[in-house]
Formats: sequence, structure tokens, C-alpha cells
Amino acid sequence: MSVASAVVLRRSARFWRSRADVWLAAGLFLVLLAANLALSPGRFAPANWGTLLGLMSPLLLAALAVTPPFLAGRGAIDVSVGPLMGLINVMIVQWLIVGQGLTSPFAIVPFAIAAGILSGALNGFLAAFLRVEPIVVTLGTFLIYSGLSLAILPSPAGSVPPWLRSLSGTYSFVPVLIAVVAWLAMKRTPFYELLMSTGSDDRAAFTAGVNVPLIRLLAFVLAGFFASLGALSLTALIGSGDPAIGPTFTLIAIAAAALGGVSLAGGVGGLASAVIGAAVIYLLQSMLTYFNVSTFVLQLSYGAVLIFAVCLNSEKIKLRIGLGERRP
Amino acid sequence: MIGRVIQGRTLVAFAAVLFVFLLGLSLVPGYGSSFSIRAMLVLASLLAIASLGQTLVMILGGIDLSIPFMIGFANVVFAKLYGDGAPFLLAFAAVMVAAGLIGAFSGAVSASLGIHPLILTLGVGTMIQASVQIWTRGLPTGSAPPFINEFVSLGGSVGPLPVPWVVPFTLALALVTLFVLARTTYGRRLYALGSNPAAAKLSLVRPVRIWAVTFAASAMFAGVTGILLLGFTGSSSAGVGTPYLFQTVAAVVIGGTALIGGRGGYAGTVAGALVLIELRTLLIGLGLSEALVQASLGAVILALVAAYGRDTHVRETI
Repeated sequence: MSVASAVVLRRSARFWRSRADVWLAAGLFLVLLAANLALSPGRFAPANWGTLLGLMSPLLLAALAVTPPFLAGRGAIDVSVGPLMGLINVMIVQWLIVGQGLTSPFAIVPFAIAAGILSGALNGFLAAFLRVEPIVVTLGTFLIYSGLSLAILPSPAGSVPPWLRSLSGTYSFVPVLIAVVAWLAMKRTPFYELLMSTGSDDRAAFTAGVNVPLIRLLAFVLAGFFASLGALSLTALIGSGDPAIGPTFTLIAIAAAALGGVSLAGGVGGLASAVIGAAVIYLLQSMLTYFNVSTFVLQLSYGAVLIFAVCLNSEKIKLRIGLGERRP
Repeated sequence: MIGRVIQGRTLVAFAAVLFVFLLGLSLVPGYGSSFSIRAMLVLASLLAIASLGQTLVMILGGIDLSIPFMIGFANVVFAKLYGDGAPFLLAFAAVMVAAGLIGAFSGAVSASLGIHPLILTLGVGTMIQASVQIWTRGLPTGSAPPFINEFVSLGGSVGPLPVPWVVPFTLALALVTLFVLARTTYGRRLYALGSNPAAAKLSLVRPVRIWAVTFAASAMFAGVTGILLLGFTGSSSAGVGTPYLFQTVAAVVIGGTALIGGRGGYAGTVAGALVLIELRTLLIGLGLSEALVQASLGAVILALVAAYGRDTHVRETI
């Protein structure tokens, strides 16, 4: 074996060991992909990739949105991601498009992103600076956003301009690409290391001089940002405003992140976990839909996946089968 | 010192009960009528029963998000069993045993695998709700026995008192809970495990057992609420518990029990439940739509909790 290939092997071994958290999801992904390909090969032809990504991207971006608060640790969680996506969706359709007649991307995209960041800052301020428990904060904003969505648009209505609609077809890669680039850019900044250290041990991070509350706040802002991209994808996909659809994303986004190995304890997980978790959930969804099951069965499977994922990703089980690192 | 803080927070919660009531009197005509007070007492009793388990779980340092789903489960399953001709006691026992087992599963798995109960109970709750819907094909049937309707009826009375039986029942439940928390080994173990799991383990408290028992209790009180709600609304629905997701958490937090565990008690939760129902009635009385009531309730509760239900700063934890 040449020296070069030995180095490559060693590096890739290290790469995979450092990503032990995504193994489970990666294995499930391959199994489900094979099952889906066997059931309906046509669906996964390259010509359909744009549409497929468009179908998957609201979930993918929602899963990415719930990840940064999880990374920040000490019970930080954002359950308001789903209703926020729904609220941005009805605000775009009812206020901008129907109300103001604004259909330009230069109005809609900045509006969506600003709304997402504002919501993230609100959640983060309440959770990190006013120090209300994150689950209480985001359950509160969950209620506020879903109530406001219903008040703005009581039943599904409206339509979207062609450029926005294309974000669920030909150009479905655009919101995802923006999210991925944003994540990778964030990873190159010192913020990423500070976030991971806050999540792993906030007290140690604090004594080392990390501004823990600020880092937690920024984690929620990131969640709001990714949720706003998710809202754009969602609006493109359903092509109208719908006050009821947003809140349903919270559960599957958390299930996807948990499946990908993101831990509520903090400091574990990232882009890869969210993406692969979302892909697994999507494939599961698509397979079950193939068998024409009711939405109740889909819901049952989300719950089961969530429990299965958190149990298998439990540190205690990993220690027993020799995958995990022993932590003091 | 901690004792004084709890007292302080419970007192603040009871002061809030009075304050919101006076606010309601001055803003909404008819807020202080006997019908409106009776309705608020009944609704607050139902919420307080549902929040009892949440209080115990939070003293332990956990959270139970499966409560709304267990309420829906008990509501639908009890109605169906009773409607299909099962005797009351059998239907009641079946629902309670099932709820207890489901709760014990959540608690035991959380504690033994070190999984945050927030995620686990969310998953378990979702599965329970979906299973109930699959079982009834989305169209629940059945009804409650007449004495349950009477037990929670707004027109009911207990001797000379113009309130239905559920109100004194909740009061008695509160007294029993206060006794259990303050004077029994279970209560001591609960606080010990919540304030310092490592130290509690060293004093031979078995975490898995206490977690299983506590989550089972939480699921069973949710079940009782579900059956009482059946008597209150008259027909069953799997989604009847949905508002209780946030409201049980909020009642406990407003009552001064912190999510980090080891602190708080049930007296505060009862006050928290009263505050929430008063606020809801006030917002409805102001003429807001259901959607806006929901949104403003979320905002008011956040403001309330931000005012005094705050966590410690990381610098204080070192």
C-alpha cells in the first residue's frame, strides 16, 4: 500500500470516528434509499432531483434551524421554529403579496430573513438574558406565532409569484445552498468554537471568558435565520398561505435533528446531522406515502423514529457498545 | 434561605391571582358574577389536576410534554370503553393502568438511558395520540356516565356551596399532595433527586424507580383530567388536551417551581392555574378572537415569567 493511500485511509477513518453520531442515521438512510428505489425507481431519476429537493427542503431547513439552540446546551431548545415558518409564510402571502402587491424577490426575501432574525433575537433575549427556561420561552412564542398566523389568515388562501414557485422546482437548491454556505462560513468563525464549548460545558466556557449569554442568544438568532429560509421553501412548495401547516414542522424537525445525532445535552452535532436526519425522515415519509397510509400512521412513525433515535444516540448505550467517548 | 424563596414565589403567585381578578373586575363587566367565578374555578381545577403531575416531574428536574396527549388518550379511550358498555370502574381502571404504564415507561427510559425527558415524552405522546386516532379512525364515539357530568357541571353544587364537586376534590388533592411532598419518604426523595442527583444516589435513592413512579403519576393525573373533561365537554376528542401542553408548564413555572429541579411545590401551581384561567377569561371578555387570545396569553405568560420566574446566571452556578 502506498504511503499516500495509507494517509487517506487513516484520515477517512478519523473523519468517520469523529462523526460516530451520524452513523445510525447514515445506515438508516442507505436502507430507506434502497427501499424507496426498489418501490418507485422513477421518482428518484435525476430529472426529478429539483422537485425532490424542493419537497424535502422545508424539513431540511427546519431541522437545521432547531440544531444551533441544541448545540448551545443546558436545555436550550427552539420549539417555535415550525410556527415561525408558518407565520412568515402567511405574512409574505397576506401582507406583502395580497396586501401591498409586492412580488419582487428584493422585497420578499429580506422581509422573510429579517422576520426570522427578529424572532430569533426575541427568543434568544428571553432565554439567554432574561433567563426564562428556553422551553417556556419557545412554547410561549409557539403560541404567539400560531395565534398570529390564524389571526392574519384564518384559512389557506393566496398565491405566489412564479420566481418564488420555482424555488420548489428548478431552483430548489437555492435556499438550501444559502443555508449550507452560511453554515460553513459560520463554522470558520470563532463563534462556532465558542458555541460548541458553551454547549459542552457552559461553566468551563464562562470561566475561560466566553460570553455565554451572548453565544446562546446568537444560537437562537441562527435558528431564526434558518427558519426564515425554511419559510421561503415552504411558501414555494405550497404556493399559498396556510396558517395550519407551520406548527407541524416542529416535531419532525426535532425528530430529524435527534436522528442525526444532535443531543439536547449540547455540543454534539452539526450540519451533517441535520441534513442526514432530515433525509431519513423524508425517505420514510415518501415510502409510507407510497403505501397510501393515513396521516395518523405517519405521525405514529415520527414519534417512533424520535424515540428510537434518542435511545440509540444515548451516551449510556454508546458506552456499553464501545462507540462513545467516556466523559467525566 | 431556599425555603424563603419558595414561600416568596408562592406568595407572588397568589398575589397575582388577586391582582388579575381585580384587573378583570375593572375591565370586563360581569367578570365577578357568580357564574363567571364558578366557571373559572371549575376550569382552574381541571388545569390544576393536570398540572399536579407536571409539578412532581419538574421538582425532579424533568418535564412531561406527553400530558396533553395522555389527556386526549384517556378522554377518547374511556368514552369508547364506557360507550361500548363496559362498567365505569372497569373502564376507569383500564385507562388508569394503561396511562400509568405509559408514564412509567417514559420515566424509566429517561432515567436509565440518560435521555432528556422533553424529547422522549414528546415522542411517546405523539405515538399515543396517533395510535388513538388510528384506533377510532379519527371519529371518536361514546360519552361519560351522568355522575361525571354532574361532578364537573357548572350548575352543580356541594351542599350549600354553589360549586360542583371537582372544586373541593381539587382542594383535597392539593392538601394530600402538600402532605406527601413535605412529610413522606417519597416527597423527600423527589426533592433530593431533583436538587442533586449524584448526592441522592449516594444516599441510596434509586433514580430509575422514582422517575418511573413520578412519570406514571403524571400520566395518571392527565388521565383523570381527560375523563373529567369528557364530562365537561360532553363528547370525546383526541385533541382535547392540546391547550394543556403550554398551560401545565406555565402554571407550574408561574407557581415558582423551576425546571432545574429540587425547588417549588404544588401550592404555587394551584395559584398558577388560577392566574392562567383568570387571564384567559379576561382576554376572552375583552372580545379578542380565539387566535388572538392564544397569542396574547403566550405573550402575557412570558412577561409574567420573565418578571419573577428567572433562572440563575451561569456565573452563579460555578
